[in-house]
Amino acid sequence: MADVAFLAEFADGHPTRSALELAAGAAELAAAAGGGAVGLAYGPGAADGAASLGAAGAARVVVLDSAAAPAVTVAGPLVEAVRAAAPVAVLAPATPNGRDLAAVLVGSLGLPAFGPVRAVHMEGGAVRCEMSTLQGAMITASQSASSAPATSVVLVSSGTYAPSEGSGTAVVSQAPAADSPQTKVRIVESATEAAAIAALEEAEIIVAGGRGVGSEAGFEALNQLAAALGGVVGASRAAADAGWVPYQLQIGQTGKVVKPALYLAVGISGAIQHRVGMQAAEHIVAINRDPDAPIGEFADLFVVGDLFEIVPRLTAEIERRKGA
Amino acid sequence: MKIVVCVKQVPATTAEKRYTSELRLDRAATEAVINPLDEYAIEQALRLKEGGVVDEVVYLSMGPDSASEALRRSLAMGGDGGVLVTDPALAGADQWVTARVLAAALDRLAPEVTLMGMASDDARGSLVPGAVAAIRGLPLLAYGAELRLTDGAAQIRRLNPTGFDILEAPLPVVASVTDQVGEPRYASLKGIMAARRVELTTWALADLGLDPAGVASLTRLVGADPPPAKPPAQVISGVGPDEAATRIADWLAERKLIA
Ligand SMILES: Cc1cc2nc3c(=O)[nH]c(=O)nc-3n(C[C@H](O)[C@H](O)[C@H](O)COP(=O)(O)OP(=O)(O)OC[C@H]3O[C@@H](n4cnc5c(N)ncnc54)[C@H](O)[C@@H]3O)c2cc1C
Ligand SMILES: Nc1ncnc2c1ncn2[C@@H]1O[C@H](COP(=O)(O)O)[C@@H](O)[C@H]1O
Repeated sequence: MADVAFLAEFADGHPTRSALELAAGAAELAAAAGGGAVGLAYGPGAADGAASLGAAGAARVVVLDSAAAPAVTVAGPLVEAVRAAAPVAVLAPATPNGRDLAAVLVGSLGLPAFGPVRAVHMEGGAVRCEMSTLQGAMITASQSASSAPATSVVLVSSGTYAPSEGSGTAVVSQAPAADSPQTKVRIVESATEAAAIAALEEAEIIVAGGRGVGSEAGFEALNQLAAALGGVVGASRAAADAGWVPYQLQIGQTGKVVKPALYLAVGISGAIQHRVGMQAAEHIVAINRDPDAPIGEFADLFVVGDLFEIVPRLTAEIERRKGA
Repeated sequence: MKIVVCVKQVPATTAEKRYTSELRLDRAATEAVINPLDEYAIEQALRLKEGGVVDEVVYLSMGPDSASEALRRSLAMGGDGGVLVTDPALAGADQWVTARVLAAALDRLAPEVTLMGMASDDARGSLVPGAVAAIRGLPLLAYGAELRLTDGAAQIRRLNPTGFDILEAPLPVVASVTDQVGEPRYASLKGIMAARRVELTTWALADLGLDPAGVASLTRLVGADPPPAKPPAQVISGVGPDEAATRIADWLAERKLIA
């Protein structure tokens, strides 16, 4: 049982970004364990797109269900597939859907659970997981308590692995149907609130605004700066609570966890609950008029000044250099 | 209708956190509070009670003796009773053990709705609600921005990538809610006094028919280190906005973040 499995969520016949990242992670760990990466595919069009996961690193793909909504309803076939495959580990995205399925797996089979992890290694045939614990105050490492461990369930934060582009094809099979209490969960209504909301987890550059931005109109200047940088806009909870941006853009403990190359925090104080969602960014730039704002303690570049004066000028300066 | 709200006692967000030499969190050295996200679950339950849909709100916590304090603080916000599951064998319990033990206590309490916070501050896995649902064979409604109860069914509003879905399942259910349900109330002085008089129920593993060997943690902490220190930020201050903009652009260009 040296295979490493991963949850692969599909949308419209294509693997989601998390599926591609986890395929790369599972392939890396499976190579160290002497086995293959096994995709556990679900979501709209999973059957049609399953073979394409081969190029991302999967040796095999088991299609759990192609129509099931919400995601948690695939719990039955998922539990049976994991029981049958008995992999070393199952990697799950640290998203609401991924956690729902991981949790049901842990409860149904009585499995050790880890994460969200910042790194995973194979050690003596089992996983060793590193996570940021206690709101980032500690980096802890955990392992299975047993010397002959059962499958470990590992939540993986977005951005932990980069998708890889190979040329393989995966062997696809269909999981047998299996009942579970989760099939009683139904979507009775769906509403679209905004036509296009950027996928923050995939962004290389994020311009995030907080209470200091002051209004919905204030976010227009951030949109322009993000456009000049080729990035997208995010927000603190204070900005989302104020209704200036949709909650899908909230970054932090109860929002998205992001890991861009550049995070530009504008009018954000840097509360611990915000910090845990963005501290893994490679470069952090903060613009804040308060020289004592906590974000100054973990930014790489801390600019003390008025955002309303600086942001438009920065946009113009970047545009000017692009034109030059 | 009865709701059981699961509340965990955690170290305060701002408290300095230390590990003992046995790699256990040194709970004696840190200030303990109700897990902040559980306060939103309490708020949601109390609103449902005030709306007349729910008759009884009971709190359930697994933890050391001192976790009774978290139950008292919950009761001070409102609600009717508290149950503490405490046993020396549970020190250092992982998420599976926690779920197993809470599920056993919930078997006895048999609520129509079990309500949890979306995550605990210290573990952050958000796995306990779904694991409890699976162990008890109940549907899971997690990450609700709101919980509604109708005759025989529960609904949550849950964000999706472009808006939200309404998810529904027949009772009994296990649900969790986010910080979007509305700000938790403060305890009133009257509430604090009343909470002191409530008799808490305490159960040990044996009371739940659980054997310590059956609830041994499946995971083991093998290391705890402070994160690597970050060099202090480079600061731009005391310059005009034009100069600030130029210097930021230079800084970005040096790191190839702009052309
Ligand atoms: C359980 C829980 C979960 C939470 N989850 C999250 C989460 O996921 N994400 C999150 O972000 N928060 C979260 N919070 C809230 C968090 O604690 C903070 O309240 C929030 O992050 C503050 O947002 P802010 O920085 O935008 O606002 P503030 O803290 O009010 O900061 C605004 C900043 O803007 C600066 N400013 C004002 N005007 C200007 C100007 N003209 N020019 C330059 N600077 C200016 C000010 O100096 C200040 O530093 C959570 C809280 C709790 C209790
Ligand atoms: N020891 C505990 N006692 C009571 N409830 C708990 C305990 N641990 C976790 N929970 C509940 O499970 C939720 C999610 O926790 P977690 O899965 O640890 O992130 C919390 O918000 C609580 O409602």
